[in-house]
Amino acid sequence: MWRGEELRIDPEKCIGCGNCSSYCTMLGGIMRFERDRKNPTRIYYVIDEDECVECSVCLRSGCCPMEALYQPELVWPRTVRKNFSDPLKIHPETRIPGRGTEEMKTNEVTGRYRRGMYGMACELGRPGVGARFHDVEKVAGALAALGIVFEENNPVTKLMVDRKKGLINPEVKNEKVLSAIVEFMIPAERLPEVLEVLDRVSQEVSTVFSGDIIARIGEDGSVPYLKEIQGRGRFLSINGKSNVGLGRPLAAV
Amino acid sequence: MTHTLHRRGDRESLGQDYIVFTMSAKKLNEEGSAERMTKFLGILLKHRPVNYGDMVTGNCYVKSREEIVQNIQSTSIVHGVFTDEEEVVEILKELKEADLGISVVISGIHDATETGCRKSGLAKHTVENSLGIFGQYKKLPADEILQLTTMCGHGMVPANLVERVITEIKRGKKSVREGAVELTRPCHCGIYNPIRAERLLGRLVPLVTLDA
Repeated sequence: MWRGEELRIDPEKCIGCGNCSSYCTMLGGIMRFERDRKNPTRIYYVIDEDECVECSVCLRSGCCPMEALYQPELVWPRTVRKNFSDPLKIHPETRIPGRGTEEMKTNEVTGRYRRGMYGMACELGRPGVGARFHDVEKVAGALAALGIVFEENNPVTKLMVDRKKGLINPEVKNEKVLSAIVEFMIPAERLPEVLEVLDRVSQEVSTVFSGDIIARIGEDGSVPYLKEIQGRGRFLSINGKSNVGLGRPLAAV
Repeated sequence: MTHTLHRRGDRESLGQDYIVFTMSAKKLNEEGSAERMTKFLGILLKHRPVNYGDMVTGNCYVKSREEIVQNIQSTSIVHGVFTDEEEVVEILKELKEADLGISVVISGIHDATETGCRKSGLAKHTVENSLGIFGQYKKLPADEILQLTTMCGHGMVPANLVERVITEIKRGKKSVREGAVELTRPCHCGIYNPIRAERLLGRLVPLVTLDA
């Protein structure tokens, strides 16, 4: 069991240069220096384990001239941090490296997003702030109250103990990750109420989240949600992703 | 996973930022997909991407071309980054011709990618947009920094590193190009645009004043 006292910077090797702080994905860095009690002229850095999201960016960067950074073996529920923060880790459920699913990227083959439906996602902690699962639960709970059905293959959904209420496994609720995606699908006509809920719950969380929307292109070539969102004066990015339909076999959508 | 979405910037800056990538649909067209993704990357490489990589292996600033190509697997997500929309049109034409049977996604300004699809005889099937950032904005760095960090959708390019790179450029320890490359390396997938980063840093650095 992780007890919170494991170090990731070997204090014997660390020379206190602070290079690792630059590679910390948490704004401002979560490393702090301490003074060697036996030799007060010497300082070394320690990692705030509770704030570390286990992204491994500092480790991979090779930034430490003394190779003082090291990764102890993680155990549940600490493993959740790495699964959600380090994109090199392939989720066992989705078999995809990263935090989400194939979503629209293979939609011409999977037929997941059909006309009349919108895919939506809230990526808590993105960009670069990080999130704890109690905040993930707030967003999931608010959406669940609308009767939203969460994406089955999404890693956050797998952590839910009650999908109808959006409740997250209590064992992981205080775990902090770089980001975690609440992913779901709605009938197009429910978009206004979902946006309203997201606006409300965004004031209740202690982090940020990035929202997105997905749709199958209309038969006339239009983007179905465009007018609805722009008509409400809401932000909609000028850039985004487009699946150009080259995958086979084609799904019947 | 929306790793190429949520890139921030104005039209001019985002107009030099296109990502073309592929992945297999698990259990549906996964079989033989490694070979098809290798061919896909071969097509991209002919058009001299400013960055490329595979989520399984890493980007071309960290791994060799051989390592990336030889390690493509059915779970791979293979990407190439381009700065010229006409180049993307040519790539789409070749991908259509090659008929590899795997999904292809382009990420960029929607107007431009729509035109690109039309010119190459393709039509968009499914689209995705960012709805922006919700919540505690006060926890975010300045938007100029976010434009640089959000080019890695997995958040592997820290705002702290951007600030350090700016300081090093300002102090003459690094060129703007070297700074851009340093920011490109941590983005494992190879979707970070070093040319755009160079332009953004070139614009930002003169505006920054260092403490004495």
